Amino acid sequence: MIKGSSERENGESGAGPLDHSATWPLLFRLRHYANAVWAENIKEWKLELTYPLDFLRSLIDPVVYLLPYVLYGIALVGGRFSPNLQKLVGTTDIVSFITIGYIFIGFMNMALWAMGFSLRKEQMYGTLEPVFAAPVPRWVFTMGMSMHSILHQFLMIVAQLIFILAVFSLKVNPLGLLPSLAMIGLMLVALYGIGMIMASTTLLFKQGWLISEALGSLLMVVTPIAYPLAVLPVFMQKVALAVPTTYGILTARHFLLGEQMGFSVLTAFVRVAILCVIWVVFGLVVFTVIDKSTRRSGTLSHY
Amino acid sequence: MSLAATASAIRAEMAKTIRIYFSYPIIVVFWAIFPVLWVFPFLFQGKALVGSYSSSAFQQLTGSGNYMAFILIGAMVSNFVFSGLWGVGNSLREETYWGTMEYIIASPTHPLVVLIGKTLAEASVTTCIVALQATIISLLPFGISFTVAKVLPVLLLVVLLMVGFYGFAIAFAGFTLLIKEVHGWVHTLEWVFFLFSPIRYPVQVNFITEFVSKLIPLTWALVAIRGIILLNQRDVGLWRITGILLAMDAVLLVAGYFTFVALERKTRRDGTVGMH
Repeated sequence: MIKGSSERENGESGAGPLDHSATWPLLFRLRHYANAVWAENIKEWKLELTYPLDFLRSLIDPVVYLLPYVLYGIALVGGRFSPNLQKLVGTTDIVSFITIGYIFIGFMNMALWAMGFSLRKEQMYGTLEPVFAAPVPRWVFTMGMSMHSILHQFLMIVAQLIFILAVFSLKVNPLGLLPSLAMIGLMLVALYGIGMIMASTTLLFKQGWLISEALGSLLMVVTPIAYPLAVLPVFMQKVALAVPTTYGILTARHFLLGEQMGFSVLTAFVRVAILCVIWVVFGLVVFTVIDKSTRRSGTLSHY
Repeated sequence: MSLAATASAIRAEMAKTIRIYFSYPIIVVFWAIFPVLWVFPFLFQGKALVGSYSSSAFQQLTGSGNYMAFILIGAMVSNFVFSGLWGVGNSLREETYWGTMEYIIASPTHPLVVLIGKTLAEASVTTCIVALQATIISLLPFGISFTVAKVLPVLLLVVLLMVGFYGFAIAFAGFTLLIKEVHGWVHTLEWVFFLFSPIRYPVQVNFITEFVSKLIPLTWALVAIRGIILLNQRDVGLWRITGILLAMDAVLLVAGYFTFVALERKTRRDGTVGMH
C-alpha cells in the first residue's frame, strides 16, 4: 500500500505510524508521553531487580571505582593535603576534591551507557522492533531510559557518600548543596542531548558499546574529575568547555569546597543553559536523521 | 574424543573467535589505543597534585618517583588480565546472546575445550596489541626502554601470570552459566583488580590493599616487571616470584577446572542453559 504524504511524514519524524498523538492537544500529548516515560522507567527497574545480586553490586561499584583515584592521590602526595592543589585552585583536601569530581562520572555514564546502549540492549533482547512500532516518538523511549538511570545514579551517589563520610570524613560547605543540585539538574538536560546522539550511533554502527567506551574515555581525560582544568593542555581545556559535566564538577566543587573556577557562577549557569539548547537540538536532529536512514536502508534489525 | 580431534576443535574455535574479532576491526584499534589513553587522567592528576613529573612520596613507596612510567607499565600488563576477563570469562554469555550456546553444549566437544580455543585466540590477539603498545611507548619520552635482557624475564613473568589467570577466567565462565547477567560483575572484577593490585597506584599506601594484593598473581608479576624495566634491577627475586606464580597457577588452574565442570553440570541438571 502506498502511504499518503502526511502518514509518510509522520512515520519519518520519529513517531511510528500508530502514533496519533501528534494531533492531540498539547496537555494530553504531554501526559501520554509522561506515561510512556514512566512505563519505560518501571520496565527498566523490573529488569534490573530481576537480577538482585547484580543490583547490589551496582551500589558497591561506585566505591570500588573511586578508591584507586583517592589512594593514588595519597601515594603521590604522601598524605591527604596537596600544597600544589592549593596553589592551583585554592583547596588542599584531595579526598574531597576527587570524591566530588568522581560523582559526576556517574552522570556521564548515564548519557553514554544507559541511553547510548539502550537500543542495542533492546536489539539483543529481540524487542527493538516492537519498541520502534510503539505509538510514541523514540525520544520518549530514551527519556524513560535516562529517568531510570538518573534515579539509579542518585542511589549510587548515596552509597558512595556514606562510605567516604564513614572512612575519610568529607569536609564540605552544606550551604552549597542546593545550588550544586540546581547545576546538576541543568547539566542533566544537556547530557540527555549527548545520550540521544549515543543512542542513534548504536543504530548506525550496531556495536554501540565501542562508541560509548571511546567517547567515555575521551571525556574522562578532558573532564576535570581529579584535577583542575589548568593542568590540561590548552586545546583540551577548550574541548572541556563544551562538555556539560565540566561545569557541573567545577561549580559543585566551587559551592562545596571553595574551588576557584576561573569564571563566575553566573557565567557557568549561562554556558550550561546554552549547552543544553545546543546538545538537545543537535541530539534530536542526529537521532532523527540516523533513525530515518536506518529504516530506509532496512538495517534496523542487523547485528 | 581423541587428542587429534580435540586439537582440531581447539583450532576451529580459535579460528572462529579470531574471525569474529576481525569482523569488527575497529575493536582491535580500540584495544590498541584506549588502554593507553585511560592512563592520561592519572598523569594529569599527578601533575595537579605534585606539580612535576616526579614524586618523592611515590619514590619512597615504589623505588621510583616516575609515576608516569609506573602507570604505563601497569596499563600494558593489565591488558592481558582484562582481555582474559572479557574475552574468556564473558565468552559463554556472548554465545547465549548470539543464540549459539545450546549448539556448543549439545556438540560432542566438551565446553572446556571450546573455552581453551577462545583462551588461545584471546591470548594471541592481546599479545600482538601489547607488543604494539610497548613499541609506541618506548619511542615516547616516558623513561621506559626495552632491551632483550629485560624482555625475556618479563615474557616469562607474563606467561606465568596468564596461565593462572586463564584458570580463573575459565571458572568465571562457569559462573556466567549459572547467574547469566555477568556484564556488571566483569566490570566489578575489573575494578577489584584496579583496587587490590598495583596497576594504577602502589598498594602499599594502605595496609588493607597491601594485604589483599598479595593474594593476586598480578601483584607479584607487576612488582617484578617494574623492578626489571624501571629500576634496572637484575635481582628482583625472579626465581622466588617465579615459584610463587607457579604455585598460584597450579591452584588457579585446578580450582578453575573443577569450578567450571561443577557449575556446567549444575546448569545442565537444572535445565537453565538456554535461559537468559
